[in-house]
Amino acid sequence: MRLHPLLLGLLLAAAPGDARADLLYVLNSGAASVSVLDARSRTEVKRIPVLREPHHLVLTPDGSQLVIADSGGNELLFVEPATGEVTRRERISNPYHLEYSPDGRYLVIASLRRDQVDIYDAAKLELLHRFSPGDMPSHVAFSPDSRHVFVTMQGDKAVVAFDLETRTQLWSAEVGPEPAGIIWHRGKLLVGIMGADHFVELDPETQAVRPAFTIGRGAHTIFPSPDGRALFATSRVDSRVAEINPDTLAVRRIWNIPGGPDCLTFDPEGRIWMTLRWTGRVAILDPLDPQGTEPPWQVIRVGRSPHGIFFKPRRDGVTASFARALPGAASGTRPMADAPPPGATQPRPMPGGATPAAVR
Amino acid sequence: MFDFLTRIWVDTSGTIFEVALQPALYAAGLMMWADRAQEWLDFALLGVVQVVLVYAVCRPLEALHPVEPVSDHAAIRTDVLYTLLARLGLLPLIAFVLLSSAERMLNGLLADTGFVPPTLETLFPALRDMPVVALLLYVVILDFGEYWRHRFQHMFGWWYALHSVHHAQRQMTFWTDDRNHLLDDAIAALWFGAVALLIGVPPAQFVLIVMLRQLAESLSHANVRLSFGSLGERLLVSPRFHRIHHGELSAGEHGRNYAVLLPVWDWLFGTADFDRKSYPRTGDPDAPESLATGGWLRQQVDGLKQFGRALRGR
Repeated sequence: MRLHPLLLGLLLAAAPGDARADLLYVLNSGAASVSVLDARSRTEVKRIPVLREPHHLVLTPDGSQLVIADSGGNELLFVEPATGEVTRRERISNPYHLEYSPDGRYLVIASLRRDQVDIYDAAKLELLHRFSPGDMPSHVAFSPDSRHVFVTMQGDKAVVAFDLETRTQLWSAEVGPEPAGIIWHRGKLLVGIMGADHFVELDPETQAVRPAFTIGRGAHTIFPSPDGRALFATSRVDSRVAEINPDTLAVRRIWNIPGGPDCLTFDPEGRIWMTLRWTGRVAILDPLDPQGTEPPWQVIRVGRSPHGIFFKPRRDGVTASFARALPGAASGTRPMADAPPPGATQPRPMPGGATPAAVR
Repeated sequence: MFDFLTRIWVDTSGTIFEVALQPALYAAGLMMWADRAQEWLDFALLGVVQVVLVYAVCRPLEALHPVEPVSDHAAIRTDVLYTLLARLGLLPLIAFVLLSSAERMLNGLLADTGFVPPTLETLFPALRDMPVVALLLYVVILDFGEYWRHRFQHMFGWWYALHSVHHAQRQMTFWTDDRNHLLDDAIAALWFGAVALLIGVPPAQFVLIVMLRQLAESLSHANVRLSFGSLGERLLVSPRFHRIHHGELSAGEHGRNYAVLLPVWDWLFGTADFDRKSYPRTGDPDAPESLATGGWLRQQVDGLKQFGRALRGR
């Protein structure tokens, strides 16, 4: 039997759930593609081909576009997050990690393979200044006032700070071997020391460095939970995810998750979706699950060497940038000065229940 | 089937990386090279598969229908060493360590000029939606580049002084493909880098095509009386076609059949010899004996001396 195209379209549109299922974007850095997954059925619904090697992605300040950095392909892709449609491409040399300033004025790009940090006018995507601060600039984080940007230098064991107004390098502070992920957290910087087993806390005012917490070999990146009640850090060699108390920086719990957990994203229920770099999979972890630190967590196979990841809710009233209106947004790579204070969130909804009020 | 093989590959490579290579990198303080090390591991694992595949295909052919009897096993053992060094990733690893800083500096200088290296897909946007066509185009263009590199190796005396290490082999077998002077390999890498600046480096999936290509190259060096017929000889480089290139009378500037994969380039540029009856003796009568029968190190040293003399015009 052959269905009329119009009828087929109507049937597909009426298919239960799929049209409005939440989406998960996974950058397959070793497969030159982006997997778009249906978060409900946990299946791939679309694969966006890119040129070479996508590593990191970021949401535009207005939340309307995902910007995917294809470092090997020298390209930024702008993607409509609700549909996965590529709307624009921009040629930029080797964009690795990138972030917008909290005020939305700047886009800063670290280029691991050309030892440079570029400051762009975010709206025009016009290069304002280029720094050559040293060996292997890796990850980027801003201060909440958008005045300063901080970059980890993997080859120099250091974090460097730049003033975006004067376009000058302010200082460089040695933090430990091969620093990787970096976030702003309550007036300090937390930096993953990939060549060691811990994170350090760096005071941007005094450049004083002290050990913050230990999670395991290959300490890598750290992300605030949207509700602001925890930080979650990854280690790639010991293959762990750790829950950190944001007030005391004490390690609350550690999950041993094989496969090299790397980047994380959160859904509105607070579940963690993470890329497992070495096994080509995404794992889903529910930190509120009373089962605690033991498997099974769920995994989904994606492409080779998945790195950046982004959860896009497609529910009424929940935008792609839902987390930016929650207390956790006070910390991170783009810390929001106007984020609600900790404790302002509603309790987590029951499974299958309504979306929490605070994310509406 | 392709998906199935890819999954096996990802799982195998990922496990080795996670269990063995990454902890070693951590212990050596080299975690910042983890991404590149994963690429290298792929290269090395593909090399293992290549060597096994090449042996499984070529060795029976050489046993069944050889051009000439094997009289110099030592010379073949030297070629085996060349192959293992090249295909199991040791030489590429050394090159990466030596050149990665320079590569980053060059990338920075290029970015400062405003030049953003293109890819075929950015030059011809229609190719974005035709990945298979794009990959085939990469194969053709890179093979074209290889044809000219090979011609230049024979055209310039200083370059042939290095390349004669490859041609000096009188006991040519499928192992001979990787018999190259290190400096010659380095120049080849720079050549490839220049092409990459013009058209980009193909994506990760390209390594599979590279693997098939290297299988074809190994076969083309095999000691086997095999021709692909009047049409096939014009489509793909055969053992007979390439043996003519390695013939004693074809060394140096008198070369024929330079193509690496696609004979069409020799056809187009007037350097083809499609004489299908010919299976000449191989070797370079003008090369020092040590390049033919010396060990790996002796060949490298004497090749370098020969290169120095060529540069001084002696």
